[in-house]
Amino acid sequence: MQQPPDDSRDWVSASGIPLKSYYMAEDVPAAHQKVLDAAPGEAPFHRGSYPTGYRTKPWRIFQLSGFGKPEDENERIQFLLEQGETGFIMEHDRNTADHLYNVDHPEVLARREDVGLTGAVMQSVRDIDICMKDLPIGTSYGHAGGAVVQHAPFALAGYWTVAKQRGFDLSRLPGTGQSDFFLTYLGCVTKQQIPTDAGLRFNADIMEFCDEHLPRWVPVSIAGYNGADSGLNAPQELGALFANAVEYLEEIKRRGTMPIARAARACGGVSFRMSMDIFEEASKLRAARLMWTQLLSERYDVHDPKVSNLRIHCVTAGSRMTYQQPINNIVRGTLMGLAAALGGVQSLGVSGYDEALSIPSEHAHQMSVRIQQVLQEETNIAAVTDPLGGSYYVETLTAQLIERAWAFFDEIQEQGGFLAALDSGWMHQKAAENQHKEFMAQSDGTQKIIGVTDHTDDISPFEVDGFMGVDDAFDVALARLEEVKRTRHEKAAGSAMRELETVLRSDRNIMPAMMTALESEVTLGEVGDIYREAFGDWATPIQT
Amino acid sequence: MADTGKRILMAKTGLDGHWRGPTIVATALRDAGFEVIMIGMARSDEVLQAAIDEDVDLVGLNIGGHIDVALRAVELVQTECEGMPIFCGGVVPPHAKRRLEALGVEVFPPGSQLPDIVDSARRLTGIA
Amino acid sequence: MTSSTDTLTDMLARAHAGDRRALARVISAIERGERLPGIPLGDAEDAAKLCVGITGAPGAGKSTLVSALTDELLKTSPSAAVLAVDPSSPISRGALLGDRVRMHRHATRPEVFIRSMATRSHHGGLAGATQASRRLLQYCAWPLVLIETVGVGQVELDIVNTADIAVVVLNPGWGDEIQANKAGLMEIADIFVINKADRPGLESTRRDIDAVIMTRPESQRPPVIETVATEGVGMESLAQAITEVHQSLTGTGELARRRYAQLGMELSQQMSRRFSQQLERYADCPAFAAAVAQLAAGSVSIEAAIDEMLPQVVNSVSPSQDESVPSGEQ
Repeated sequence: MQQPPDDSRDWVSASGIPLKSYYMAEDVPAAHQKVLDAAPGEAPFHRGSYPTGYRTKPWRIFQLSGFGKPEDENERIQFLLEQGETGFIMEHDRNTADHLYNVDHPEVLARREDVGLTGAVMQSVRDIDICMKDLPIGTSYGHAGGAVVQHAPFALAGYWTVAKQRGFDLSRLPGTGQSDFFLTYLGCVTKQQIPTDAGLRFNADIMEFCDEHLPRWVPVSIAGYNGADSGLNAPQELGALFANAVEYLEEIKRRGTMPIARAARACGGVSFRMSMDIFEEASKLRAARLMWTQLLSERYDVHDPKVSNLRIHCVTAGSRMTYQQPINNIVRGTLMGLAAALGGVQSLGVSGYDEALSIPSEHAHQMSVRIQQVLQEETNIAAVTDPLGGSYYVETLTAQLIERAWAFFDEIQEQGGFLAALDSGWMHQKAAENQHKEFMAQSDGTQKIIGVTDHTDDISPFEVDGFMGVDDAFDVALARLEEVKRTRHEKAAGSAMRELETVLRSDRNIMPAMMTALESEVTLGEVGDIYREAFGDWATPIQT
Repeated sequence: MADTGKRILMAKTGLDGHWRGPTIVATALRDAGFEVIMIGMARSDEVLQAAIDEDVDLVGLNIGGHIDVALRAVELVQTECEGMPIFCGGVVPPHAKRRLEALGVEVFPPGSQLPDIVDSARRLTGIA
Repeated sequence: MTSSTDTLTDMLARAHAGDRRALARVISAIERGERLPGIPLGDAEDAAKLCVGITGAPGAGKSTLVSALTDELLKTSPSAAVLAVDPSSPISRGALLGDRVRMHRHATRPEVFIRSMATRSHHGGLAGATQASRRLLQYCAWPLVLIETVGVGQVELDIVNTADIAVVVLNPGWGDEIQANKAGLMEIADIFVINKADRPGLESTRRDIDAVIMTRPESQRPPVIETVATEGVGMESLAQAITEVHQSLTGTGELARRRYAQLGMELSQQMSRRFSQQLERYADCPAFAAAVAQLAAGSVSIEAAIDEMLPQVVNSVSPSQDESVPSGEQ
């Protein structure tokens, strides 16, 4: 139904910032006027990281991928690389990895068909080795997995062990893990998880270990994405992300084991969600770069442009992909990808058009790569850096987001900091409030989603069904688990486990012991058992 | 809104921890006067035990992953608690939706609207 | 419907014989306010039965503590039942009951029975049906009952009227709360627990509690137990303290006195509840509407209207379920 033009409606951004029907020079807040003259590649970097932008360095096409057995995942990654992906992400089966359960754990046995549906099952370094077969780890940017905090040390140590075994010099190895608090404690709360203070220790340990042994590795990557897709709006995503970074930096400062500038560099590779409000989302990336520069200079007296130049990965909002009329999601992926490019992203993943139905099918994955290639090669947006710079609207929005984001940052500090805000459930409450509002807006017609709330007649020529991976992931994983336990050097594994437990109960860095554990073929579930014994369980503040 | 006196069990059958959807649904049901007992991630035997001990009028399952995992819970509850209505939400691709519906389960895939879910709860608990 | 007294009697008999489904249904009947026949209440001297109440502010970690404590108590007790109470929304009267999430490891143990309860319209940190459910459980061979109260800002006294032993859960860094609740805490706490004892502020919280309990003679000072419930730390000491307090209360005769007093309290509460139900029904009758009309016309005073209607309200309480009047739940 066509509605008559209506200007009585309240026009606001997705996060609720009131919008004028057009903007003029005087709308740009005075404080922000001062930074308008900065060129891309100059502090405070809101205009972009490099003056030459995508001319010299197109954003990395970086898709989450994985399912089934390690060899299935390897095959999919090889496929994506052939299609033009320029980095790769190894996804570990979340049923087992997030909880550090082996497949013979009762919780997993009860759901054996789920095993391998959200990533490949990797219970020992042997599985990781299969998954990494022939991958260009020396030249391509690899993501080792380990999105959930308690899983990160295992996933990283596994990747590094395989790299070492293949003769790579760790000090030259590029790549990243994630170990994200937003995912772990806000977005996707597992049945069992180490408490937040133990998580903070893990991440600081990983930062220290990389500082010493893997200088080219991005040790942790704070993923505002997971906060946003749980309900945090754009300024909240920004404020919370930097509140998280401050926890890491303060912990390193307390330890005094690393210069603060190097610690800042170690957590200066972050990820944001790109959603459908194109200008707010593009402005968010501009705001993020400026805020990081501000935070480091004002709070930590760090001014080195190599450090204060934030590097950003974006993933398009999975929650905006609809179940109904899924082909429409190709359009949504394109628009959200465009917003990221306009905001000056360094690396991008576009969600599969079948996101609301399942993990991506091969075709959906290919489309995610194609969308990015079309944007890069056909639209000419690579020609000019920060194409939105100087727009009265975008500069105003950037400044307003910064102001609101710092206000949210301050609110978090009042809660006792980022960890305390997670422990108490305050952050979950904030996310839930927004989600509730959004659902209400969909029900009362103020928020329209094509194919869902409006234009629901579907004449798609074919049905998109959920991709269900392979059906032998569990059986093979179980056989391989038994094989590892039967054929590994049991004495070495036993001693590595005892050493790991001793280290966990001390204040020493866990990573050397974790490396030994992986080298000695200690399995995922055995590491999990040691954690559970040493740390107990995070008392989740939410009822899942 | 009037006190319904009706109790609904809400469980997640998988080990995937996305809490957003189930929490919003639970809150909407609470706001419609239902007592919602949340048990988080639960195996089928745990779902059944909670349904019995909490003497609920309706079982709600948030499902994801493989349909067989959800079906195990559905079939166990249907066998052990005769006539117990069940509704499901979550990532339910078309093939899974059809199998659940064949068992008499009402299915709410992503994009379902809260008023429809609440209406279904009323109907299934016999108050509308 | 299952609301007839016959069916309920039958169901109660089955629950008493160990049928868990019947037990669960009888609890629902109690929650709906149905009349329960034949639970003997004269247990003031039966020290083998024990009901422990766990109270404390929201976020104190009560559910996790109850879960860990249940593990510990099951080392000596053959079974344990938990009544976990959460608030009903005053607006919708619905409720979110989430305590089972933190008790997940007991989810399928035959020796553990967990029941989530909404307060419905009851105030005071417990549901109106809590006490009757506790008695039902103990009648149905669940001698050990743990009651977890609503997380409330202020100390709620209801637990004293329901449980044998009150455990008050605090956290490090809660000096102000202790000061503000000094009198209430003194009145109800048989045992103090400082949960999350691995957090900063433990010492000062301990000092604040000590300052409160020092005013009591040494023999009457409640024990203070430090726990980290998420790791199971301190559960042995807590279980030990519960046993000692139980023995001491039994020995001094205090337990019997408490239970006697609770019976009086329960009688009064049940009468009040029954009367409220009756009043609600009466308020739907034409006579009530007529009285309102008279009030509006100024032809009668409120006092006079009450005097006239009160006997009718009371007399219409019949000993058997009055099926002619629609009850709330149908």
